[in-house]
Amino acid sequence: MDTLLKVENLRTVFDTEEGTARVVDGVSFEVGRGETVGLVGESGCGKSVTALSIMRLVSAPGRIAGGSILLEGRDLLALPEKEMRKVRGNKVSIVFQEPLTSLNPVFTCGEQVREAIALHQRLGRKESKARAIEMLALVRIPDPEKRYGAYPHQMSGGMRQRVMIAMALSCEPSLLIADEPTSALDVSVQGQIIELLGELQERMHMAVLLITHDLAVVAQMVHRVIVMYAGVVVEEAPMEDIFRRPGHPYTEGLLSSIAKPGSRGGKLSQIAGTVPDPLRLPPGCRFSDRCPKRFEKCTIGEPPLFELPSGRLSRCWLRGEGGKA
Amino acid sequence: MSGIDDERILASAPPAGLWSQGWGRFRKSRVGMAGGGIVLALYLVALFAPLLAPHDPIAQGDVPAMRYVPPSAQHPLGTDKFGRDVLSRVIYGSRISLMIGFLAVAITVVLGALVGAAAGYFGGAVDAILMRIVDALLAIPRLFLLLTCVALFSGSMWLIIVLLGATGWMATARLVRAQVLSLRNLDYVKAAEALGAGGKSIIWRHLIPNTLTVIIVAATLRIGGIILTEASLSFLGLGVPPPTPSWGQMVFEGREALLGAWWLSTFPGMAIAVTVIGFNLLGDALKEAFDPKRFV
Repeated sequence: MDTLLKVENLRTVFDTEEGTARVVDGVSFEVGRGETVGLVGESGCGKSVTALSIMRLVSAPGRIAGGSILLEGRDLLALPEKEMRKVRGNKVSIVFQEPLTSLNPVFTCGEQVREAIALHQRLGRKESKARAIEMLALVRIPDPEKRYGAYPHQMSGGMRQRVMIAMALSCEPSLLIADEPTSALDVSVQGQIIELLGELQERMHMAVLLITHDLAVVAQMVHRVIVMYAGVVVEEAPMEDIFRRPGHPYTEGLLSSIAKPGSRGGKLSQIAGTVPDPLRLPPGCRFSDRCPKRFEKCTIGEPPLFELPSGRLSRCWLRGEGGKA
Repeated sequence: MSGIDDERILASAPPAGLWSQGWGRFRKSRVGMAGGGIVLALYLVALFAPLLAPHDPIAQGDVPAMRYVPPSAQHPLGTDKFGRDVLSRVIYGSRISLMIGFLAVAITVVLGALVGAAAGYFGGAVDAILMRIVDALLAIPRLFLLLTCVALFSGSMWLIIVLLGATGWMATARLVRAQVLSLRNLDYVKAAEALGAGGKSIIWRHLIPNTLTVIIVAATLRIGGIILTEASLSFLGLGVPPPTPSWGQMVFEGREALLGAWWLSTFPGMAIAVTVIGFNLLGDALKEAFDPKRFV
């Protein structure tokens, strides 16, 4: 597949009083043109910071300390801020988790979509308004001409997230980053938004990087899954393989904590403990203190990303040469 | 599934913006209408002073015969020691008080908003330096500074307006800075950055419109205070120079004959009180009506 985005050895750190927290610590992955990739992990694993790093929107005390982010072969980290502004919203867009607060309360939803269009396209007022109404219709907002004049507080969460999507897609970006786009919404609305994203992705031939903590959300539309833990990629595999035979104990833990329809009465398992503080990572494998399959080697050295058959990757000693599995 | 969601937005009332929402709430507030009515009436009085005043506020006629005349049909609020009609002087005095209040507050708002927005938006060293200047200025006793300046440069109305404005902007700067700081990290500002918006567009489209109601409310509440300060300056004999009628100066002049001619100080004093109360009621009602927490 034609590579659209290539993140290489990305390191984003936060300077705190106690030291430098390596929140994203050498992350590498690729997203192909038109591909949908899921970036999965618990809160605090560095997935959102990875997304903000791609947009170059990490705010102080955070900073990108190294690596490269190639979009269509061009390193975004080397661009001057002015050039980067032309990339944001135009080539790469991001939809955030909070549709309730991501719209300015003072302006109508339609105005805000129009503004997003006007930032990158030279259109007259009438044309950009017509285009904004077109975008509202595209994200399935009923009666878009009328809703153009509605203020954010007059819309439900699901509708506001649709407006956010319309703003993000208004310049037809080649990559859409969706950072937990459904986590703040009702369960019934979550499905609709994911469905809409999948549909728009096909229609506009864009790549989507879908960030979530919920593997079940990803399952519907993702081709490939990248699992992050404590700032590093621990597993990467095609979607089907992740569910059938996870390649890392952490992924196994994530999978078994999803409620499955039909399995009644059983207790939902969960991964013991919490994501380690990036300032106090355990020695050896970062997951070793919570891993049910831990053995001596795990606490001694950090495992590399082992390449498994069929292009899968896993950062677990069990998968490497000399592993027990 | 989508039915509920769609119906809810379609059934909602026709679009109402923040301004019309706030105005709707303001209109229902009795306190606000009372304050607004007082302020409006005062501005009308100031505007039409020549038509409303029964006598000339400055000219002195037959002083020995006309001085200290108690309230009567001819002089509803009596006359002062130069035989001038107190009612006419109170009416003309509203011009001074309102003009000083309005212009001085305009200066504090512009200065305060600029300094506060710069400090809040740029942060870092800019913020530190500007806020230390604010701290330093707040540490100087204001009345003392005013008195010194007026004594040094001999007071005129414009000097007093500039001085009141220049010494009153610090609280506005702090307010705007706090507001900008809290807005800067809001999701919609981040979302705008993510869409490729630059600093200028973010300040104008997102930061200023969302700070405006707070600034207007603070300015309205400040006008009362400024009018009081001007009155105090005049009372100390360092306000607008006579014979221009100013309420503070009238209270000051009436003080020496207070026992014999109570009307001299009482009526301008009441005018000051009513004006300050009017602006404060208006400000309080605006604050209630445009409280950001009430917009959802």
